Amino acid sequence: METSSASSTPASRAFQVPSRATDGQKAQTLIEIENFDFYYGAKQALFDINLKLDDKRVTAFIGPSGCGKSTLLRCLNRMNDLIDGTSIKRGGIKIRGVDVNARDVDSIELRKRVGMVFQKSNPFPKSIYENVIYGLRIQGETNKAKLDAVVEKSLRGAALWDEVKDRLHESGLGLSGGQQQRLCIARTIAVSPEIILMDEPCSALDPIATAKVEELIHELKKEFTIIIVTHSMQQAARCSDKTAFFYMGKLIEYADTRTIFMNPGNPQTEAYVSGRFG
Amino acid sequence: MSTPANPFASKPSRSRSFEKVILGVFRTATYIILICGAAVFGDILLKGVPTVANAFKTTSTFPYVTNTFLFEAPESLYVFEHEGKTMEMGDKDYRAFREAEIAKAAAAGLPPPVFKSSSYVYSAGGIWPCIVGTVLLVVGSMTIALFLGVCSAIFLNEYAKDGPIVRFIRLAILNLAGVPSIVFGLFGFGLFVIYLDWNVSLLAGWFTLAFMVLPVVITASEESLKAVPKGFREGSLALGATKWQTIRKNVLPYALPGILTSSILGIARVAGETAPIMFTAAYVVRDKLPWDVEKASDFFFQGVMALPYHIYVVSSKIPQNEYTSRVQYGTAFVFLGIVALIATASIIFRNKLRSRYQW
Amino acid sequence: MPTEPVSPPPQKPFLIEKKRTRFLGLTLDETIRAFFGGNAFTAVVVLALITIFLFREGSAFFGQNRESITLYRQAGLEYVDYMRTQQEEHTALTRYLFDIRLRAVKHMTEAPLGGAQKEKDAASKELWELEHNALASGPAVDPEKLASAKARVAAAEAASAKILADANAKLAAFDDFAGRYSDTIEPVRGLVSELTDVAVAIKEKYTINEDAKRERAQYLAAGMTAEADAVKITEVDFKAELAPLVGITPIYVETANGVAAAIKEVASTPPTLPVPALEERMKRFQALNAQYLASFPETQRKLETWDYQKPVPAIDTFTGFIFGKQWLTASFWQDWYGVVPLFVGSLMVSVIALFLAVPLGVGAAIYINQFASAKEQKLVKPAIEFISAIPSVVLGFFGIAVLGQALRALSQVEALSWIPGFPFSERLNALTAGCLLALIAVPTIFTLAEDALNNVPRSFKEASFALGASRMQTILRIIVPASLSGIVSAVLLGLGRVIGETMVVLLCAGNRIAIPDFTEGFAAFVQPVHTMTGIIAQEMGEVERGGIHYRALFMVGLVLFFIALLINFLAQKIVRKYRVSIG
Repeated sequence: METSSASSTPASRAFQVPSRATDGQKAQTLIEIENFDFYYGAKQALFDINLKLDDKRVTAFIGPSGCGKSTLLRCLNRMNDLIDGTSIKRGGIKIRGVDVNARDVDSIELRKRVGMVFQKSNPFPKSIYENVIYGLRIQGETNKAKLDAVVEKSLRGAALWDEVKDRLHESGLGLSGGQQQRLCIARTIAVSPEIILMDEPCSALDPIATAKVEELIHELKKEFTIIIVTHSMQQAARCSDKTAFFYMGKLIEYADTRTIFMNPGNPQTEAYVSGRFG
Repeated sequence: MSTPANPFASKPSRSRSFEKVILGVFRTATYIILICGAAVFGDILLKGVPTVANAFKTTSTFPYVTNTFLFEAPESLYVFEHEGKTMEMGDKDYRAFREAEIAKAAAAGLPPPVFKSSSYVYSAGGIWPCIVGTVLLVVGSMTIALFLGVCSAIFLNEYAKDGPIVRFIRLAILNLAGVPSIVFGLFGFGLFVIYLDWNVSLLAGWFTLAFMVLPVVITASEESLKAVPKGFREGSLALGATKWQTIRKNVLPYALPGILTSSILGIARVAGETAPIMFTAAYVVRDKLPWDVEKASDFFFQGVMALPYHIYVVSSKIPQNEYTSRVQYGTAFVFLGIVALIATASIIFRNKLRSRYQW
Repeated sequence: MPTEPVSPPPQKPFLIEKKRTRFLGLTLDETIRAFFGGNAFTAVVVLALITIFLFREGSAFFGQNRESITLYRQAGLEYVDYMRTQQEEHTALTRYLFDIRLRAVKHMTEAPLGGAQKEKDAASKELWELEHNALASGPAVDPEKLASAKARVAAAEAASAKILADANAKLAAFDDFAGRYSDTIEPVRGLVSELTDVAVAIKEKYTINEDAKRERAQYLAAGMTAEADAVKITEVDFKAELAPLVGITPIYVETANGVAAAIKEVASTPPTLPVPALEERMKRFQALNAQYLASFPETQRKLETWDYQKPVPAIDTFTGFIFGKQWLTASFWQDWYGVVPLFVGSLMVSVIALFLAVPLGVGAAIYINQFASAKEQKLVKPAIEFISAIPSVVLGFFGIAVLGQALRALSQVEALSWIPGFPFSERLNALTAGCLLALIAVPTIFTLAEDALNNVPRSFKEASFALGASRMQTILRIIVPASLSGIVSAVLLGLGRVIGETMVVLLCAGNRIAIPDFTEGFAAFVQPVHTMTGIIAQEMGEVERGGIHYRALFMVGLVLFFIALLINFLAQKIVRKYRVSIG
């Protein structure tokens, strides 16, 4: 197929381009995806994906609905294991050189290191406090002082502390949509992962809440590697360092965000970012 | 100036009156059902209440008032003529009365009085052992059924991936739900009473009833588990919780109220069934109460009296007349009352739960 | 593409590998999963166990039944039954004659007797009024009037007596004929009753001997040799024992020929009936009689070729159970275990129940789903759920205590006598049980049918409305057809519920083990019946464990089990096959 050859070439080329390092340092590669084919039952969802993601950077996955960007994201912490009939037919994902699908890799340990924030905010019907420490509790942490410290640190990290510090023991379901989503982020950073996956975290939020979450992403970048799937091109442009464009299960182009938006190497990418389809 | 005829005006027609007739038929069908149900309830209520209401008597010990129908064991009723009056007495009272009269006559130097009595079994006293037996049967079997049912539902809803095995299990559950209760009775008799040699016992009854309601409990549990949003599970798993941790901390606590509520309907069914316990757990009559056992293990291997079986016995094995109908209606009333209470509770709880948990 | 990216500073390790504790090669989580999976298999295991244990207890039935049938043959019971059949068929014909007579009397006297009765009622009323007045107002009544009233009553009574006497006189010739016809079988009757004793004696001997054998085996098993030797065993020599029985064949043939001749002779001079309308029946009688006579050679052939040693084929025990028309237990002669009467009973009560429950349940479902206000829905749905919670034993009791009598009283209402079978005298019968079972089936049918109606997509309804269809048209032409598969499967599951119900039929169906007389048409539905579930519940407690009767009951349970599975299977199949079409 022509598009597939056309798609891999600019992507690999784009990968050679030094990234727009915000803090002036050269980024290291954290995640390598190689020749990755993924199936839902008999239906192939991802075709030969090759991608290298940088450490302590924000990478955005963009593309029209059903292009496989969320699927790829969920492969990174093996959430797809939970769906019936999924299989990896070829290739693999390595995080710092460790194949996450290797036999002796424990998906639970993996998920402790690779956190995830979902499209629809899903705080548990527990108090805010219990929500944040949930991850630590299941790891068996009981030290009250330590838990308190983590709660404050995480909520501050998620820019929620000032809003909820007086009602930590009220239900997390009582918060507004944006607050709920930030609570979910706080919950995720409480287990101190290295990577945070965000699956359209702002799609259900109003513009003000969205702005807050985007601001937060900017802050979080200092400590975490963030991969964000988004429908909104503005969002990708605003908060990511690199952007990968997917179409029909294939990686079309991967480059610095600026390159993608200002000077895309592929006509399909150009068509998408300029709003002609998708 | 004449207004033109409104083309949208409703016109009377044959099809319209036909509609009305059909609607009337459907409505009648609905209310016939309700009237039939009400007739059964009403009849048993009206004739059963006096039995319970007239059985209060005061006692010399705490709580100073008791209900002989609810809290005493069944006795035979003796009806006899004495000094021109028709008298009715329970077995114990009758014996005592006869002794006393004979003694009185002897003291007065008269020939002993002749007592010509007709007796009706189970028609005096009360139904306390049956109530106890029914409660024991229900509690035991529901414990077993809930344990097995919830575990099965967790597997089917949380762990299992769709495949031939799961489909096979679901098919089995569906078919189990259709097996007639008397067949469960035969099965319990063959397996527990004969093969495992438990005899007619509480334990045999528990398992027989538990297996009978298992499909109800599994279905109810699965529905409650399904009602817990997927986000709870994903959120927990994404934080590095194991599957079991997720289920235990983040799924079961929210599903449990639903499971218990829907299972109450199962309780009503267990309490109401007669056929499965006929050969596995129920005795026609037993003098001892279940806790009068020599050693603890005997508790499980004793048969009990049960309300539904008692109703069967008193309505089929003794004649229908003014003396026996009291206990017949009284027992039916108490039993129906218990079952109706359980059913009402389930309906109320369910409605409450629906309004409370909305995520 | 380079496999290792160049990475100048050493990377810190990414720790995602972990050794977990393992039990039997499973991690904790896998163990938990296996535990739950095991529980999920309970349903499968229970279903398997039910099958196994019903078979385990029931399958020996066939062996035992074969033994029983073999003994039936060896002891000559079968031989005697050939003759008995002949005798019983004759009795049936005699009964037919009596039936004709009954009709003739009714025919002849109905109209005049009615008139006489009216006259008598009027006369009695007059007399009663006179006497009443006499009591009320003293001796102011005319004694003459009183006397004439009395005379009038007496005359009316005499008139009706005369009508009856006349009718009987007109039937004298017929009675003579019927009497002579009935007597013709006497020689056979005598023979049969003699042989019955012989055959029973042989069977008795065999049974005693078998018991002795068992006793001895028990002694031997217990090591008590002396006692074992003391038990006397004398094998039954069937051939010798049967000699008197078989020896009688020629005599029987002679007798039968005599009987046949006598019957022919009697039948050759049929009486003329005073009622021409009944000639048809008389002709029918002659035809039946001719048929009966024609069966004589067949019976003779059977008797002559009868061999006590002829083995009983294994399949006979199976067909004898499945197609056997008799369920006869604890009889001195021969026990039969045929499931047909029970099956027919179960089927009849189910048919009655569904006949009532389907229109009610489906009608109510349509009403509640499509018409009722939200308030009405909130009221009716829990109420029907409530009805489903009524324990069946309570319904059974209600049937005994109230409904049986009420239905009987209803059947005796003059205005309803056109309904076939009305009036009836049995309080407990198929109808009583069927009515109560309908109340059990209604909630099941209602709930499932309502679900099915609910599942019809809204767009169907809207599209139909948009085309200008009325509500009823939409419902009858769109919604009901679309949910038909669900409704049918609801009815099937209701049937499953009803056919498996025990207590109601045990208490209210009348428990008479016989195939209802379907020649009476719909009146068969008010006859008492016995059912498969009822027989198990009734007899299980009383039978000897391990005996043939016990095993037969388990076989009935097995039949019931398979019927339930079949109904379930069909219900699922229907739902699955047609649901797709709704989309």
